Amino acid sequence: MNKRMDRRNFLKFSSAGIASALLGSSGLLSWSPRAHAATISQTFYITEGFITQPDDVDVYFKGFSTDTNSLTVPGAQLIAQEGDTVKVTIVNTLGTSHSFKIDGVVDSGAIGGGQTKTVEFTVNNAGSYLYYDGLNAPYNRLVGLHGALAVMPSGSSNELYDGSPTFVQQYFWVINDIDPAWHDRIRRRRTPNTPFTPSYFTINGRSMRVPGHPDYANPAIDSGYALDTRLEGSIGDRTLVRILNAGQCMHSVHFHANHVEWLARNGQPRADVWKKDTVLLPNNIGSLDVIYPFEVPPDSWPPAPTGHYPMHFHDEMTQTAGGGLYQFGIATTIAFK
Amino acid sequence: MFNILEKHSPMMGMGGGGGGGGGTCYVYPDAPATPGEVTPDVTYNRGIYMNGSMTMDDGNSVTIWGFTDGGGGGMGGGGNQFPSPAMRVTEGQVVHTNLTVNGMMWLHTIHHHGIEPSTENDGVGHYSFDVDGTYTYQWKASHAGTYFYHCHTNTVLHAEMGMYGGLIIDPPEGPGTLHSGGPTYDVEAIWACDEIDSSWHNKNWDAGTCGGDEGFNSLNPDYFIITGVDGAQSALTNPGVAVTMNRGQKLLVRYICAGYLPQRINFGGLTATVHVSDGRVLPNPVQMTEIEASSAERYDCIFEPTEAGVYEVTCDFLDWVTGAVVGTARTRINVN
Repeated sequence: MNKRMDRRNFLKFSSAGIASALLGSSGLLSWSPRAHAATISQTFYITEGFITQPDDVDVYFKGFSTDTNSLTVPGAQLIAQEGDTVKVTIVNTLGTSHSFKIDGVVDSGAIGGGQTKTVEFTVNNAGSYLYYDGLNAPYNRLVGLHGALAVMPSGSSNELYDGSPTFVQQYFWVINDIDPAWHDRIRRRRTPNTPFTPSYFTINGRSMRVPGHPDYANPAIDSGYALDTRLEGSIGDRTLVRILNAGQCMHSVHFHANHVEWLARNGQPRADVWKKDTVLLPNNIGSLDVIYPFEVPPDSWPPAPTGHYPMHFHDEMTQTAGGGLYQFGIATTIAFK
Repeated sequence: MFNILEKHSPMMGMGGGGGGGGGTCYVYPDAPATPGEVTPDVTYNRGIYMNGSMTMDDGNSVTIWGFTDGGGGGMGGGGNQFPSPAMRVTEGQVVHTNLTVNGMMWLHTIHHHGIEPSTENDGVGHYSFDVDGTYTYQWKASHAGTYFYHCHTNTVLHAEMGMYGGLIIDPPEGPGTLHSGGPTYDVEAIWACDEIDSSWHNKNWDAGTCGGDEGFNSLNPDYFIITGVDGAQSALTNPGVAVTMNRGQKLLVRYICAGYLPQRINFGGLTATVHVSDGRVLPNPVQMTEIEASSAERYDCIFEPTEAGVYEVTCDFLDWVTGAVVGTARTRINVN
């Protein structure tokens, strides 16, 4: 038996461990268009461990991690352009089989415990994609094995799709709903046998903290300050937000201070771009692509070009942790600088 | 960077108690002067009631909280309306919403949903303050359409308890026109569809704020209502909800998804022409026989029925995981 397969102690992480593995100095998804296609390479290590939730409960997760000693949930954000080849190597450090799948694009098939597999695929259609483990569906995906891939239109740095409204910066928000009873069953290699009842709600793997909490404003833990969730801009800094739902719940995404331009749902560009303050996010790999325009809040009087506001989900169950702790769920801050 | 939070300290462990961890955590009591306060074009005064009730068609009574039409002026004479008394203003007006809260007993805010004012006037406790005393929310009505206002303190509980009311911005043409250059209407209805989980309706205002399992992650509604009227039977005929109109007239339904679960409203064979959603005119109106909506969306729907009849409108409330119908509220459009 591979020694990786009978580790006695799971790795334990606060969400601080996630952040250091996930991103460099900026949370923005950065991109410079190229004239020619290229090959994008990424290695993921499938690992497991516990992540501490806002009420100090440790919950089991698996992740597409950046090294063998970390647990990265969700996995690293990938970005490519149309025509590129993406080469992903999966090192499965666990004793269970896993896979790497993007609907309609690639499916590695089962990668057995202790095995390594490389898949290469070409990305031909601009848009926002969830990569995930398609085995033992939906459990492996829900327990943390998912992440985001952006495909830019060829040669473009500021469009979601050819001819779309343009942006100057972009973010991914990957949403998950966590039922700790399900995660514990998966840890014990059993199939969940209770109705799905999530009690933690995350955006890029984190939940919100508020003033007075010791982790408030810690970008490694607080989704209001995490570099990859918090929207920051000055007036005119139109921001594309690619919202992917790895979880099982439908949600309501509510933006304060500006309406968003609603460009796409489930990867399909909308015939008309509507301006909305609230949009339904479909479940089970559903997605939304919206542009937050960073305009002076139109109802402010006197006009207020600076300030900060929440984005939060309006199905308010998502604003809780462990059945209480309002404000400790799926939310982030929109800062007008 | 401007950071209003630095001016305030959260109030922790306020006492009170109740289920879960007990006490009050992560609230931010204050009532500062309104920045840049000007003389408003219109003023609303709102107080708090937390002893209201709604009697359901099965005879049971459920506790309701809300906003009173209170304070200066004496218009409307207080009372415990549910939904809370509506606000109706005209595009271009500067509005004051004066909220008075007895902070010794509880804290609340008003967030005018879909209205986009400055941080101080947005009514989100942890980004500004929870009102302790009287605060004047100042905002300008920039876009005609349908909105609603609700409490944004311990929102998961307070909005479920009924702390919301309608908010309409008319274009300069006034009521009867949806938006400038848009359709006119002869008959108007506001349908705020909401679900109630009565097991949540016996808690303290600060329940769960210090932690503890209050069950707020799981809404299991047992009543389904339209604009404060039970959608099991009463809303079929209640004159404040059900519509009676004549052929040749135009009906505007302002549909508000006021609950937490996804909804699917079906117009019973009539076709809606949706001109405005979330207070923004659509580039092209769309025709819909039913609408799937998520919490807090609004759709402004014009109907021009050509045949007399009784059209039964059904609002299905959907399980957020399976999409299964967990309950239905019904009303009618009676066309003579």
